Amino acid sequence: MTTTSGDDRLKIGTPKEVLDGENRVAMTPDSALQLQKLGYECGIEAGAGHAAGFSDKDYKDAGVSVHKTAAALWKASDIVAKVRVPTDADVKRLRDGQTLISFFNPAENEKGLETAAKKGATVVAMEMVPRISRAQKMDALSSMANIAGYRAVIEAGNNFGRFFTGQVTAAGKVPPAKVLVVGAGVAGLAAIGTSTSLGAITYAFDVRPEVAEQIESMGAEFVFLDFEEKQTDGALTGGYASPSSPEFQAKQLEKFREMAPDIDIVITTALIPGRPAPKLWTKDMVEMMKPGSVVIDLAAERGGNCDLTVMDEKIVSDNGVTIVGYTDFPSRMAAQSSTLYATNIRHMMTDLTPEKDGTPVHDMEDDVIRGSTVTHAGEVTYPPPPPKVNAIAQQAKKPEPPKELTPEEKREAETAAFKKQTINQVTLLGIGGFLLLAVGLVAPASFMQHFIVFVLSVFVGFQVIWNVSHSLHTPLMAVTNAISSIIILGAVIQIGSSSVIITILAALAVFMAAINIFGGFLVTRRMLAMFQKS
Amino acid sequence: MEFGFTTAAYVVAAILFIFSLGGLSGQESAKRAVWYGIVGMAIAVLATLIGPGQVFWPLTIMLIILGAIIGYQLATRVQMTQMPELVAIMHSLVGLAAVFVGFNADIMINQMEALFASNDLVLGAEGAYASLPSEVKEPLSSFGTLIAKKLAVEVTILKVELVLGIWIGAVTFTGSVIAYGKLAGKVDTSAKQLPGGHALNAGAAGLSLLFTIMYLAGSGSWTLVLLTLLALFIGYHLIMGIGGADMPVVVSMLNSYSGWAAAAIGFSLGNDLLIVVGALVGSSGAILSYIMCKAMNRSFVSVILGGWGGAAAGEQQAVEGEQVAIDADGVAAALNDASSVIIVPGYGMAVAQAQQAVSELTNKMRAKGKEVRFAIHPVAGRLPGHMNVLLAEAKVPYDIVLEMDEINEDFPETDVVIVIGSNDIVNPAAQDDPNSPIAGMPVLEVWKAKQVFVSKRGQGTGYSGIENPLFFKENTRMFYGDAKDSVSKLLPLVE
Repeated sequence: MTTTSGDDRLKIGTPKEVLDGENRVAMTPDSALQLQKLGYECGIEAGAGHAAGFSDKDYKDAGVSVHKTAAALWKASDIVAKVRVPTDADVKRLRDGQTLISFFNPAENEKGLETAAKKGATVVAMEMVPRISRAQKMDALSSMANIAGYRAVIEAGNNFGRFFTGQVTAAGKVPPAKVLVVGAGVAGLAAIGTSTSLGAITYAFDVRPEVAEQIESMGAEFVFLDFEEKQTDGALTGGYASPSSPEFQAKQLEKFREMAPDIDIVITTALIPGRPAPKLWTKDMVEMMKPGSVVIDLAAERGGNCDLTVMDEKIVSDNGVTIVGYTDFPSRMAAQSSTLYATNIRHMMTDLTPEKDGTPVHDMEDDVIRGSTVTHAGEVTYPPPPPKVNAIAQQAKKPEPPKELTPEEKREAETAAFKKQTINQVTLLGIGGFLLLAVGLVAPASFMQHFIVFVLSVFVGFQVIWNVSHSLHTPLMAVTNAISSIIILGAVIQIGSSSVIITILAALAVFMAAINIFGGFLVTRRMLAMFQKS
Repeated sequence: MEFGFTTAAYVVAAILFIFSLGGLSGQESAKRAVWYGIVGMAIAVLATLIGPGQVFWPLTIMLIILGAIIGYQLATRVQMTQMPELVAIMHSLVGLAAVFVGFNADIMINQMEALFASNDLVLGAEGAYASLPSEVKEPLSSFGTLIAKKLAVEVTILKVELVLGIWIGAVTFTGSVIAYGKLAGKVDTSAKQLPGGHALNAGAAGLSLLFTIMYLAGSGSWTLVLLTLLALFIGYHLIMGIGGADMPVVVSMLNSYSGWAAAAIGFSLGNDLLIVVGALVGSSGAILSYIMCKAMNRSFVSVILGGWGGAAAGEQQAVEGEQVAIDADGVAAALNDASSVIIVPGYGMAVAQAQQAVSELTNKMRAKGKEVRFAIHPVAGRLPGHMNVLLAEAKVPYDIVLEMDEINEDFPETDVVIVIGSNDIVNPAAQDDPNSPIAGMPVLEVWKAKQVFVSKRGQGTGYSGIENPLFFKENTRMFYGDAKDSVSKLLPLVE
């Protein structure tokens, strides 16, 4: 091998997947060409692309060097791109400064993380690519889920003894198959699309009501649950579903049970990040299904959505329902999935190589790179901070929630506010009190009596009026207007005077105030009577 | 009846009034609260009537009945859109009543002085009342007796109080009349002042002070008359200088003044109930004014001094883009697709009397399962709470009518916002453009919704004359035409 000598370009290498039955490969001849345009050299382990339909010759033709053994490839590569979570042996091969791009399952792979960090290697975990618009091109989970969804329908058809589409033929009428897709994520939507285009009557269910539109746009019918629940905003959980309440779950199972006897094919795709798959298709539902029906459980890897699912196996229940628990749907379509995955990797490399000069720049300020990097510079960098950009823009316009203060800060702020309030109040009271005393010095006692009443009333007024609801401000004005006509008392007292002028003026005042009293109260009553609750 | 009984009745009435105001904290309790107010008023008037020294019963009762008839007519005939006018004109009555009662007090003081003089005594001198012959004392009315008993310093305080009462009352009177005229469209609503502007007001206020001092020094009642004329002028000129958009503040300010006038008269008559109620009403109006000013991010002084504050510090941001019009079909289609709708009503809805049509539209959309809510800015309309009353009249349930603070955060999740006849309260320039005259005023953030329809008569800038960038935004469509016609056109199209 002479490829590396005399050439200081960094090398991206892809080993053969070691896991049994894994047919995918992280680099295709096409993606290799693109990677070379970024200034990288490409290498591959002999036979790595074989299962996916790419021969070593194809790679060579694309300018990729072929290494005989995995060890040689790992050694020669500065950047290793692969599909499956690396084995312990793989992780041990990592060296300082080397970069590994792969699925890594960082949440449950603490040992791998630590080893990689200790070795000084940078690990980019493909499942950690944040779900933001900009990162969609490298979202390997979505591209794999898309394939899984498609393949699930094909797999179901394979095990289902009838047509998908309804037909009326000379040999008799064939009813269309009824397909239920549970969970309308990427896989679910792909399954819906495939199923409807095959002609089946497709129903779909999801706990997030906002996807109803997407489901309907794919030609399926959204299974509507008559239930009000506040689902966490999808945008906050990166577009994934969050666990639902027990009441909701009960309602959901009830609905499924109702549908089970009619459904021919069930495809379950319900996953909640970081949790075992929820059990949505119970044993009794399987028992209700017609013989020959098929259940495809795409959540098998996490325990399955169906009670009877056996991971990686196809079983037939007592009443003749086939339950498929394969977890390798993408691998079953290795050519397609390798192409998509290799493209995802290539996009990741594009982002890592902004100058297209064959030098990766690991910009930890970048949401996408930061999010997917799980070890870097000898440190474990998992879990990443929440991305700066929200995943789903449509609903993500909520204003920034006020910064959460720690209890201490809160208490401090409260104490400060309280202190300020106290100072304000004391100052006001001091000034008020001083003025009051000053008035008291000069005014006679008879005046002070009234004055105290006045001051107290102002206080009562302020306390009472602050509680008046905004919507009642007009009635408040009308009612204060009416009671300010209390001035009628003054006029009534004066009207009995011996002076004609006083009597006339007082009479006028009584008359006007009376208009006001009655008008004010009546109009207030009229207004208040209009306020009705729905 | 004893004097003690009257006082007790006053205490009961005062407590009832406080309950009456406090009850307005909720829609349901408010219905009860009005009755407290009515009973309180009845007790107060009755207790005064049967109090000591009352001789003119039939006349008083007849006048009250006459007033009641007119008041009833007013209250039942008034359109809900005319509420601001009604409230304003009623304030003027309280103001005028305060002026009359104040003058009466002055006349009574003069009479007493004459009476004392004819008996070779001086009003206010120590023991003077006691030395009055009883045949002179007997025919005195209760009010006369009250004054006759006063000491010299008390008489002076009495005079200060009645000057205050008359002055505030007179300002309230003309101010309210002008406010009424502006609200009813009988007086030009734009801010107008005589040449000299605020200097005139300040001069008049200074002269008033001068006349007050002269009156206290004993120059005679003519000073009081001049003072009243000056106050009437101030009321007129002050309110003339305030534009239509500031009317909510003006009306609540006048509300406050009518209270203070009553309190001042209460002092001069030595009547605690008048003082209590006056103080309640005065502080209520003051708080309302404060809330309104805060909602416009303006200081009380700048509102009272008229017009939109000083000139803006710099060039206002130029508005780019164009106003895109839309027809009823387009609006209806968007409404049919929407699942959440917020309606922002303003004075334009009141002017066009569109609330009934809006209510029908709301019912139709709610029947379709859409979420329809109303967002009310504190200064929407011409009176605090004006929109709430209009919507209530049109039978819009009050629990979907929300305040600005309650709903402002929900706009981003809203499909369609319909702005009906409001302008400044939805102006994004208040937040974006520091040079805008309304910069910093809290506004409803309607532009954050997915789609905004603005129902508006034409392309003008409205009361404040401030360009509204909202109308030029990409997600905004202008739905030109009379609000009532526009909304009515939508009704058959919304299915």
